Amino acid sequence: MRISWMIGGAQGSGIDTSANVFGNALASLGFYIYGNREYYSNIKGRHSYFNLTISDVRARSISNKVDILASFDAETVFHHFTDVTRIAIYNTDVVNTSLYNVQSIEPEVAERVGKLLEEKGLEKSVSGALKYMESNGVKLIPVNYDEVTKEVAAKLKVPLSVAERAKNTTAIAVSYALLGLPKENLTRAIERTFKQETFLKLNEIAVETVFSLVRPEFSLPIPGKAKRRIQVDGNTAVAMGKIYGGLEFQSYYPITPASDESTYIEAHQEVWYEDPKTGDKRKRTIVVVQAEDELAAINMATAAALTGARSATATSGPGFSLMAEGLGWAGMNEVPVVVTFYMRGGPSTGLPTRTSQADLKFALNVGHGEFPKIVIASGDHVEAFQDAVLAFNLAEKYQTPVIHLVEKALANAYSIIDVEELGLEKIKIDRGKLITPSDHFYQRFAFTEDGISPRAVLGDAFMYYTGDEHNVLGHISEEPVNRTKMYQKRMKKLETADREIPEEERIKLFGEDSRVAVITWGSPKGAVLDAIDELERRGGLKVQVIQLRIFSPFPSRLLKKLLEDKEVIIDVEGNYEGQAGEIVKEKTGIEPTHYVLKWNGRPMARDEVEEGLLKALNGERRVVLNGGA
Amino acid sequence: MAELEWKPLWNDWCPGCGNFGILNAEQLAIQELGLDTKKLVIVSGIGCSGKTPHFFRIPITGVHTLHGRAITFATGIKLSNPSLTVIVNGGDGDLLGIGVGHFVSVGRRNVSLTVILHNNGVYGLTKGQASPTLKRGLKTKSLPRPNINDDVNPITLAISSGYTFVARGYAYDVKHLKELMKMAFSRKGLSLIEVLQPCPTYNDIFTKEYFDKRVYKLDNLPDWDPVVRREEEKGEKMSKAILKSMEWGERIPIGVFYRNDLVPSFEERIAESAKSYKEVIPAKARIEANGSPTTIIEDILKEKEV
Ligand SMILES: Cc1ncc(C[n+]2csc(CCOP(=O)(O)OP(=O)(O)O)c2C)c(N)n1
Ligand code: SF4
Ligand SMILES: [Mg+2]
Repeated sequence: MRISWMIGGAQGSGIDTSANVFGNALASLGFYIYGNREYYSNIKGRHSYFNLTISDVRARSISNKVDILASFDAETVFHHFTDVTRIAIYNTDVVNTSLYNVQSIEPEVAERVGKLLEEKGLEKSVSGALKYMESNGVKLIPVNYDEVTKEVAAKLKVPLSVAERAKNTTAIAVSYALLGLPKENLTRAIERTFKQETFLKLNEIAVETVFSLVRPEFSLPIPGKAKRRIQVDGNTAVAMGKIYGGLEFQSYYPITPASDESTYIEAHQEVWYEDPKTGDKRKRTIVVVQAEDELAAINMATAAALTGARSATATSGPGFSLMAEGLGWAGMNEVPVVVTFYMRGGPSTGLPTRTSQADLKFALNVGHGEFPKIVIASGDHVEAFQDAVLAFNLAEKYQTPVIHLVEKALANAYSIIDVEELGLEKIKIDRGKLITPSDHFYQRFAFTEDGISPRAVLGDAFMYYTGDEHNVLGHISEEPVNRTKMYQKRMKKLETADREIPEEERIKLFGEDSRVAVITWGSPKGAVLDAIDELERRGGLKVQVIQLRIFSPFPSRLLKKLLEDKEVIIDVEGNYEGQAGEIVKEKTGIEPTHYVLKWNGRPMARDEVEEGLLKALNGERRVVLNGGA
Repeated sequence: MAELEWKPLWNDWCPGCGNFGILNAEQLAIQELGLDTKKLVIVSGIGCSGKTPHFFRIPITGVHTLHGRAITFATGIKLSNPSLTVIVNGGDGDLLGIGVGHFVSVGRRNVSLTVILHNNGVYGLTKGQASPTLKRGLKTKSLPRPNINDDVNPITLAISSGYTFVARGYAYDVKHLKELMKMAFSRKGLSLIEVLQPCPTYNDIFTKEYFDKRVYKLDNLPDWDPVVRREEEKGEKMSKAILKSMEWGERIPIGVFYRNDLVPSFEERIAESAKSYKEVIPAKARIEANGSPTTIIEDILKEKEV
């Protein structure tokens, strides 16, 4: 069972909260959910929407086609009416609103929608859009929001302007009632969210009113849940992973879609831990600094790492650009610092609140000069959590910066997961060659077989660091023989990492060996897996999915082996160049035969990926996806 | 094991460079205060001044960073391990040109650091271009034409940015400079010591001869009292200090311009909302036992439970 549901409305009008209440109610019944939030770079007034997939088994992607659309404004109808397949909930008050009377709608959208309605001989208004849906077999559910508002106002004896706030809840209550689910769970979710008495009442009355008016359209079997579950978005998953992994210092400069991670950590700046010496439960502090810019953010984090703190920063494209010089210093000085890089649409400020996978090559090549960097890309929320710990472990083990790639499509999307998926008991902490030297005078950059020197921290011994080339003591040295050796020592660490990190951990495989392979990485993973399940179910087609998880050190040998006998290799990723595909070619000599690409800023949805893969399988070499509003 | 021994780098500053005086004063201040040098970190930027930590003749720990960024590194070090004494040595180009954003921003935080600003009026290591402290109309040796930028006054800027100890020393008055440093190194909060540092190679205007004739000590003024003792005095002391900072010409003041120990340090501000910050040094917290995390995330998971 799988249903996709969408709610839209003006940014700042409470859409997020409503979608959460709705999700919580469903989750409490044992449904899994995958939800994505789309919004403009705007605080109030522009169109935003939530797209949820509700399922009795683990959900991992969204669909562009939605079964149910919940709306109360005209703009939502205009943006999404072509994507609705079963039910559209609309406000009877906006039926006559003309396409050209919606101020906030972007002219390109108005033009596109206008053209379509005109072609169909329909009125360029909400009523035209409703007719369009009706002719496609969509059932329309009119809601007189005003009436509900009036009823709420009368019952609670509050002014209409206050009762207005129940609009969102009305929209979700209608959706919920249509699904034929027990009212109590929705009421409880509302109680969990609204602590303030009036709001709570307001919303409860709205729910009562709706339930007395709406007949169910579905009768969903209630899955129930045996296991403990949490709902996490990408920012929180990374933050939780960092905290569990021992984060002690985090610096950041505000930027979408990264800052929510740091804000979350700051809200949890004191964490409990078990003192291994005494066994006591104690609190420790994670220092969170809102820096003056990203130059400061990366350098503060790097410096904190020199003291032995597990330290990190989180940013997005524009900030990462500013961090380039700092990362070079960290590379030169062999500092274990972690950068969580939330990719969004570039270049420049690009699409500040939309997703992208266009910074893969930048992450791999950031900074001038050569230095080892480890680059990890998470494909879902569980990986985002686990990779946050892995990033620290690899950073400390190989004493070099680690860049953890996450995209807006994961940051602002959420999954309901079983806690056991996190594998908490299996998570290890590896601090690498961290030592307390007995000698006060020690060589921070001592030459070793594997390139990794024992690392003491500031305050435990005398030592030098410099961004200039240096000798074993960390003193400036321009001498050519030392330069050759020291350079090689640094670079060797990546070779050591390549030897030590099992290639099987750098690549995840799904499905049996087959003549067709799909290569992907990052957030498209869920959509790709769902699309392929669907294709296999319908056509018996066998596809092997290869998810690239660690790009540096690159799992060249294993990947080459996997790709060697493939007839068709389809690369699915969210950029123009097919960057991962190019890297695969560079590292293995094998080029993808087909590409399914997307760079419109919207996450990949399973239905469009399915279509894209079909086109590729039918011979289209380069398929460009453009789904999402 | 000769290689294992700590040793300073051969000092490659030009003969007669004011930096020697700064280095001497800094070493003496550290020694006279009896600071535990293992708990001492000298952070520097890029420039002739940036090499300071490498040239120490006593064992210390040095972190020679990026052009303009020393303050950010120092902040990261201090906040993750507040038990360390952290000193910044930077050039006027470094701290007031490329790094001026950090110079101002750290003032808002009052992190316990001492910033020593080597003011030589030029970009020494890149061969003598005008620095942000060089006055308009002046033409030092390697300028193709007179400077057409106005100058930044480090003292005024520091006071208005929130530094809680602001002083000026002179590189060739090592004894006086050393005393300023001792005051700064042993206090909580953010300190600036601007040092008039002749660069005999590129600055042929602000020479030793120029300064020797002009500098005088604020301490010798009969009623000079730069210390804020009560909150209400702040405005008055600040304005007096700023006014004094503008004195430049026949007489150039050195000494303490402003001091306010009433402002909480950034470490104290963190501890106010996170009590454990005082008890457990973040950098020293035991985050791991037998390869497993010690952090308990039960509460955090519970918040997200559905
Ligand atoms: C990002 C960057 N830009 C430029 C330089 C080149 N550079 C090296 S030192 C320096 C100026 C140094 O002047 P100052 O900070 O006054 O130090 P001084 O040499 O005078 O002590 C510059 C511009 C650099 N190292 N990094
Ligand atoms: S160039 Fe100037 S500042 Fe640099 S070492 Fe020589 S004299 Fe000193
Ligand atoms: Mg200078």
